[in-house]
Amino acid sequence: MIPALRSAQTPTTRRIEWLRVVMMFLLLMSFAMYPVELFIIGHWLDTFQSLIPFILTVPGLLFTAWVFFFDRSTPWLRTAFILTMWASIFVGLLGGYYHWIWNMLDVGGVQWNWGYAMEEFHGYRPVLAAMAYTYMGITGLASIYRAE
Amino acid sequence: MINRLMEAKTENQRLLVFLQLFFLFWTAFGFFYFAVEHWVIDHFLDSFGSQIPFYVALVGFPLSLALFFTTRKAVRLPYTVWMAVTIGVGLLGALYHLLYNAGDAGVSVFSISGFFEAFTDPFRPVLAALAHVNIGAVGIMVGLTIQDESADEE
Repeated sequence: MIPALRSAQTPTTRRIEWLRVVMMFLLLMSFAMYPVELFIIGHWLDTFQSLIPFILTVPGLLFTAWVFFFDRSTPWLRTAFILTMWASIFVGLLGGYYHWIWNMLDVGGVQWNWGYAMEEFHGYRPVLAAMAYTYMGITGLASIYRAE
Repeated sequence: MINRLMEAKTENQRLLVFLQLFFLFWTAFGFFYFAVEHWVIDHFLDSFGSQIPFYVALVGFPLSLALFFTTRKAVRLPYTVWMAVTIGVGLLGALYHLLYNAGDAGVSVFSISGFFEAFTDPFRPVLAALAHVNIGAVGIMVGLTIQDESADEE
């Protein structure tokens, strides 16, 4: 993204590249800071699922940094970045869903009636917070869209 | 912005406006969604400080919606300025969450252990306030990259 911004020739392409650079910077910061935040709040537990966001951080941080600073054209790298973003989207959605399910299981089992489900929506595990990863994936996909 | 997408002449112009529209959607969505979320978690209290996120959304959401339909300066300038305000609110929110947490716990943020205790107190999440910085940063990029109607390029 940075090389593309530096070599942009027209005002329109410069604007496009500025947009991409800032979005990718926010994405890079998210991939760097969310694991720190998750570690601080004690998300690193003995269960596998609690480690998923940390595992996603490895390709997320690596490919985002690479695409941001160096190269967004090499086909395998683009594919790896795009797949990581899709993974982030699904990790966010599944994380939100399972946070919700586990909140309900802790209390009185899974029941989809409005009052109870909404109560557990705001239970111990934040449902919407998990979807930050979905938003990050979407941002990454939009940033590399048509960026050759 | 919608009008600009319709009238874009070159592929690059179309791509630029498409990306702007895409990120404008997230800005508008963010203002709406965070206002609802803050209300749900009982952020609206008697203190003025607790009401600030609502006032930010009350101005930011209609301005973001308006930008979908017009890019005239009367909308674009207040929109862009408000995005800068939103970034400031996010930064100050994080700082005040930290200071209030430290005050409640009776620790100083100028010691490492005190800072860490205030930072990790889940009652007022410090980093969560930075979500407004994200909304503002995404929004301000949309505002700053809008071309003047008269600019005839390429």
